Amino acid sequence: MAKNMALGSGLAAITLLAAPVPGTAQQAAAPARADPFPSNYRTPRPDDMLLRNATILDGAGGRIEGGDVLVRGGKIVATGKALANPGVREVDAKGRWITPGVIDVHTHNGTFVVPLTDIDRESSDVAETSSPNGADTWIETAVNPQDMGFDRGLMNGVTTMQILPGSTPIFAGRSVVVKPVRGATVWDMKVTGGAQGFKMACGENPKSWGGDKDNDGPNSRQGVIAYMRQAFLDAQAYGRDRAAGKAGRDLKKEALLGIMAGDIRVNLHCYRANDIASVLAVAKEFGFKIGAIHHATEAYKIPGLLRASGTCAAVWADWWGFKMEAQDAVRAGAPMLERAGVCVMMHSDSAADGQRLNITAAKAAAAGRRIGIETPPEVMIKWTTSNPAKLLGLESRVGTLKPGYQADLVLWSGNPFSIYTKADLVLIDGAVAWDRSKPPGAPVSDFELGRKGAQ
Amino acid sequence: MKTLAMLLALAAASPAAAQTLAVTHAEAWTMETGDPVKDATILIENGKIVSVTPGGGVPQGATVIDARGKPVTPGLMNAATQVGLVEVNSASATRDVGSADDRNPGFDPARALNGNSTLVDLIRADGITRALVYPAQSRHPVFAGEPVIARYRDGVDILESREAAVFAVIGGGAWDRLGSRAQQWTVLRKALTDAKIAVAARDAGEKDKKDRLGPPSGRGRRAGEDLIRGVLAGEMPLAIQTNRESDILQATQLAADFSIRVVIVEGAEAWRVADRLAAAKIPVVLDPSVNLPGSFDELGARQDNAAILTRAGVPVAFGLAGGKIHQTYNAGMALREGAGLAVANGLPYIEALRAVTVNPQTIWGKAGGGTLAAGADADLVVWDGDPLEPSTSAVSVIIEGRQASTRSRQDVLAERYRDAR
Repeated sequence: MAKNMALGSGLAAITLLAAPVPGTAQQAAAPARADPFPSNYRTPRPDDMLLRNATILDGAGGRIEGGDVLVRGGKIVATGKALANPGVREVDAKGRWITPGVIDVHTHNGTFVVPLTDIDRESSDVAETSSPNGADTWIETAVNPQDMGFDRGLMNGVTTMQILPGSTPIFAGRSVVVKPVRGATVWDMKVTGGAQGFKMACGENPKSWGGDKDNDGPNSRQGVIAYMRQAFLDAQAYGRDRAAGKAGRDLKKEALLGIMAGDIRVNLHCYRANDIASVLAVAKEFGFKIGAIHHATEAYKIPGLLRASGTCAAVWADWWGFKMEAQDAVRAGAPMLERAGVCVMMHSDSAADGQRLNITAAKAAAAGRRIGIETPPEVMIKWTTSNPAKLLGLESRVGTLKPGYQADLVLWSGNPFSIYTKADLVLIDGAVAWDRSKPPGAPVSDFELGRKGAQ
Repeated sequence: MKTLAMLLALAAASPAAAQTLAVTHAEAWTMETGDPVKDATILIENGKIVSVTPGGGVPQGATVIDARGKPVTPGLMNAATQVGLVEVNSASATRDVGSADDRNPGFDPARALNGNSTLVDLIRADGITRALVYPAQSRHPVFAGEPVIARYRDGVDILESREAAVFAVIGGGAWDRLGSRAQQWTVLRKALTDAKIAVAARDAGEKDKKDRLGPPSGRGRRAGEDLIRGVLAGEMPLAIQTNRESDILQATQLAADFSIRVVIVEGAEAWRVADRLAAAKIPVVLDPSVNLPGSFDELGARQDNAAILTRAGVPVAFGLAGGKIHQTYNAGMALREGAGLAVANGLPYIEALRAVTVNPQTIWGKAGGGTLAAGADADLVVWDGDPLEPSTSAVSVIIEGRQASTRSRQDVLAERYRDAR
């Protein structure tokens, strides 16, 4: 059934956008695809350039020593040795490294905005927590673009971020993908053309919420899984009623139908192997694929399960121990998963750590080396570029330095896995978004303006 | 992988503890000068460094660790963490970081230290051999308690010394019961004033009644405000965890008014008053990685804080590194990563090494510690690369002249699942 809806939904989308009325079975799934909050991102005026003589990690596993990258009209035109210059600015990149821009698939930038104040403790925008089911929410309607976390990320080579809702609800709602460029609204930053993301959570966070006597939600792991299944069943029933003209719009159920139709990609917050396996079973039961398990601190115990379901793992290198379900995290998780053939990536969950995802990769690779698993730089870079691009459905646009791709790239002062290395030049869509050598220096959010801050 | 080798090395080292240990072919960062001694032989006996000699010979019968030309540093010290006081943060029965006793102003965490903690194994594996373990906020503003020095040797007993300082916390919203930070300063000043009066009264001839005031400073185990007499007597510093420029200046004034030693902990905006701190000889223990203000008190947070302070002549040590989860759960890795970041932001390399060796030891009461000088404590680490690179691992950790375990629970888990497919 889910499969049929997926096939039909593409055609029905246009009709439904114009006339959101009960319609056919095919149409019922389509609202999930409609975007009520369209992007206003404007492609910047391109800064064409030829970067000469760098160590290039292309993000897809390739490495070129003494290589060039030609950027024109916002796109990568060519990578290789001794490229001919069609008459653009040349940048001497000798001794420096070039990689695709870093992609962080897990931030709360714009909703967990520092400095935190009382309002964040009382009613945070990280997630809508009045119910375990916040499937109707779109995180972008909460994002404050003046969060300086965006600027700090950009200055450290991050060119794409997925902002996810938090993990208190079981169904936490839609994510948004942005470029860390300055804008008055999140829609000036919003990336389109990828997969619509969605956040689900299992384990301690949602069950703790349910465990609070003031809240009405499941308070055990088994309760959380049962809640998921019932919600998907209810959404299916709704889909049938909707198709039969017996139901109006229901934002939550539409979102779950969209997940089952494959129009919405799930990012699942989950730590323990058993929890991951439980939700993978639910996904199988309802005919959808989970894009990635986030945190996934025990994913290294079950690589076969992830491989079989085509699900990625988005991990830290070294967050562990702070709660019971995080006890068994190991720093070597990423290289272990990589070797087992699982799509793996680094993620931050933190505006601080998100500035150093390549360093996170370096820590993980070093821990792998301790147990005899070698991961070369050209593979490590996949964890912060092409693999996250895949999760976001942007793998044919960003995350790899290949002709025709958007020129989101970083010229690093040295090896990107060294703590001493800085992002010298960051291009987004082929335009300079950050140039360390040029005043006035760091981008400044409206929040920082006129305050005695760090600048 | 190297597990078996490590165990064998341990087995070999243990009976030879009283004998000689030699680390050969080391790039030895003795911290006595700004440069390392190349191809050094480091001789260790009875828990102390005997010598560091370029190309030096190895006495017969010595246990040899070949550093293969890699860096060897003094064991690193984290200048502010809670490793040893907490296992699982969300499991309150495993958290011994703070006192909830509102009848007693003091809190001595020494009796809670647990060398069997998995966090201890990890911090040691990351090359940290010592730390200032500080107490969390108490229910007795503005005091948290008295930090202790931990030495992360093998075994349950990791206590090195107690009463390294009196620890106070001051800042925006820090204490519900007091409100404004102005009142927090008032409470701190009153405690110092009361203690001063008490000491003066005793010294003024009430010798018969001095028992009433407890034992004189420097002896016995006192707690809380009583220990402030030790601060007044110059036996230990008053550590003030605070961030805002105005509060750091208040701390400077307090130090002058009471003629006491003050250490600023955290100090996000310390760089703004670097010259004042240098003139007042007030050291700063800071997190070198912070560049986002978690609170309004930290609006000025920036990663060249350490570079600016050091240039001005302020002694700087690194602690609380990485914030959040890292300052405890990755207190070794985050310390090295933070020190590397400080270098990336303008701090000379040798100063970054000092900020994790010599400086924390000096600030917290062991002047001369944190070096490989002859006679120094034989706490040292053989690295497989630059210790400030997060991709570097500690190959051998030597504490009290013995090879200590570098195997953490994470290693054991990774080895168990190494071949999972």
